[in-house]
Amino acid sequence: MPSGSFTFGDRPAPPAGPLFAHEPSRPMNIYLPIAEMSESVLVLLGMGAAVGFLSGLFGVGGGFLITPLLVFTGVPAPVAVGTSTAQLVASSVSGALAQYNRNNVDIKLGSVLLAGGVVGTLIGVEIVRILRQAGQFELFLALCYVLFLGVIGTLMLIESVQTVWKARSGVAASSRGRGEHSWVHGLPLKMRFHRSKLYISAIPPLLIGAFVGFLAAIMGVGGGFVMVPALIYLLRVPTNVVVGTSLFQTVFVAAAATILHAGTISSVDLVLAAILMVGGVIGAQLGASAGSQLKGEQLRLLLAGIVLLVCVRLGWDLVVTPAELYSLAQPAGAP
Amino acid sequence: MMRAVALCVMSLVAIAVVAPVMAADGAVVAQAAKKAKPRPAAVPQQPMSTSAPERVEADVSTRTIAITSGYSGAEILVFGAIENSRQPSAESGFYDVAVVIEGAPEPLMVRKKGRVAGLWVNTATFNFNAVPSYYAVASTRPLEEFADAALLDDNGLGLEAVRMSAAADSAVRVSSEDLIAFKDAVRRLKQSADLFKRADYGVIFTGRSLFRATIALPATVPVGPLTARVFLFHEGKLLSKYQARVVLEREGIERWLYAFAFERPFLYGIAAVLLALATGLIASAAFRRRGT
Repeated sequence: MPSGSFTFGDRPAPPAGPLFAHEPSRPMNIYLPIAEMSESVLVLLGMGAAVGFLSGLFGVGGGFLITPLLVFTGVPAPVAVGTSTAQLVASSVSGALAQYNRNNVDIKLGSVLLAGGVVGTLIGVEIVRILRQAGQFELFLALCYVLFLGVIGTLMLIESVQTVWKARSGVAASSRGRGEHSWVHGLPLKMRFHRSKLYISAIPPLLIGAFVGFLAAIMGVGGGFVMVPALIYLLRVPTNVVVGTSLFQTVFVAAAATILHAGTISSVDLVLAAILMVGGVIGAQLGASAGSQLKGEQLRLLLAGIVLLVCVRLGWDLVVTPAELYSLAQPAGAP
Repeated sequence: MMRAVALCVMSLVAIAVVAPVMAADGAVVAQAAKKAKPRPAAVPQQPMSTSAPERVEADVSTRTIAITSGYSGAEILVFGAIENSRQPSAESGFYDVAVVIEGAPEPLMVRKKGRVAGLWVNTATFNFNAVPSYYAVASTRPLEEFADAALLDDNGLGLEAVRMSAAADSAVRVSSEDLIAFKDAVRRLKQSADLFKRADYGVIFTGRSLFRATIALPATVPVGPLTARVFLFHEGKLLSKYQARVVLEREGIERWLYAFAFERPFLYGIAAVLLALATGLIASAAFRRRGT
């Protein structure tokens, strides 16, 4: 009798009997090395394309949609956040470059925002690590998303409904009056920002940058939805410079967040990120051309609807009694 | 090499067939009486004092499972043979065989949700020092039908007998009922993730001494060594056991990426950013050219 050391060599294994129900091999599946799971390439490409389409359509980063979508697919929450920061670099760099070529970027203001952003990112990544050890990261992420998406979705809904209603009733939407000075202008450390025609304290942009960097690190979002209104309403940055400067800052903050996520908790899955990026850039182009067919108010109403839907879906899981009260995790310290 | 097994088995079969014929002829009765006489399944209770003891030997179809980008789970075929089989046919059910494939023990944390201010929050945790990452048991019929609970437990056979050692700091904190609840939760969650499973009729005999079982590994089985154990039972007694190893390892680009991510994490992060920058710039350049 041979002693148990024989192998089949290259001979194909005999066909399986009616034993274990085995999954049929799915040739379109791809193994994600960091997420440690196998997922259909088509599903991931479709997700990237759908989010890219929305970001092209609405001009938003789409990070706030990709992270929850990845979590719904079964990707571990930290990997979902880390990977979507990498995807964010790809989706924001082309826009930032286009804005830069049109001289719509205030490099000096962007750098100040960025300096704050890097600090915020460092704090955010550290908080992710602590919460992950405490087992509360998923909850924290869900709460952050519910809060932000809820607030932003509601504000957008109110604004777009008002605009649509005013347009219907024939009253021109009044442009927001610009205050001469606000409390922002009373702070020390004044700097001159030539491109934005501003002479203001460096503290508010630093704080705004830090907050946005913090959001990028914990939620995997670009933070354009916080940055753009803050620059317009708090700092009075001219509208044509706002988007470019925000995108400029997003590229670097997302890059910093990616490196920190990869460096501290190894949570960036390059295979997953690459697929999302490819889907994303295709979707974004389609979305941009579709966007030119629709009116601004209709677009905002639609986006508000999507944002609120994601919010409700995430909030629902927190409130409804779960079918399974237990969950398994790798203990702290293990990869 | 399969042929070698087949030859062995055939020679065993030949002896088994020839021996009773000779006995019936009465030519070599004395010799035949001393020799191993195959008995039909109907009279297995007679002690086989003169027969050689059965031994089980087994192997797995693949010693190394490569995890590449196309990996979506694998199938392990465990096959083996019983030396000195007294079984008259593959269908007789004379022997019972159980096959266990087990992943490396690893620390595991179980969390329990509780309601805090209307929200479902993780409120309790329990640590295990070692729980197998994967556990599959296949047998010729339900384990409980051919072996008693103590024997199954001693050999770590069956989902109830999977070795789970609680961490000391967690064990002292909870009551025994809670400990059972946490262990049950591990079994339930691992089963729903396809990482713990049992197949009561998963082992089949394909000959008097040959048997085999196919066990599917889902893609989520953690990378690492796996052990395949084979147990041979007859009438509630464990006659023989055998162990083989399977290694699950990343290969090609997956292996390289994983090592890169965990051994040079900051460099990996920089590479991720460069990849993202390149993708974004190439895509926008490509679309701009097409657009204009």
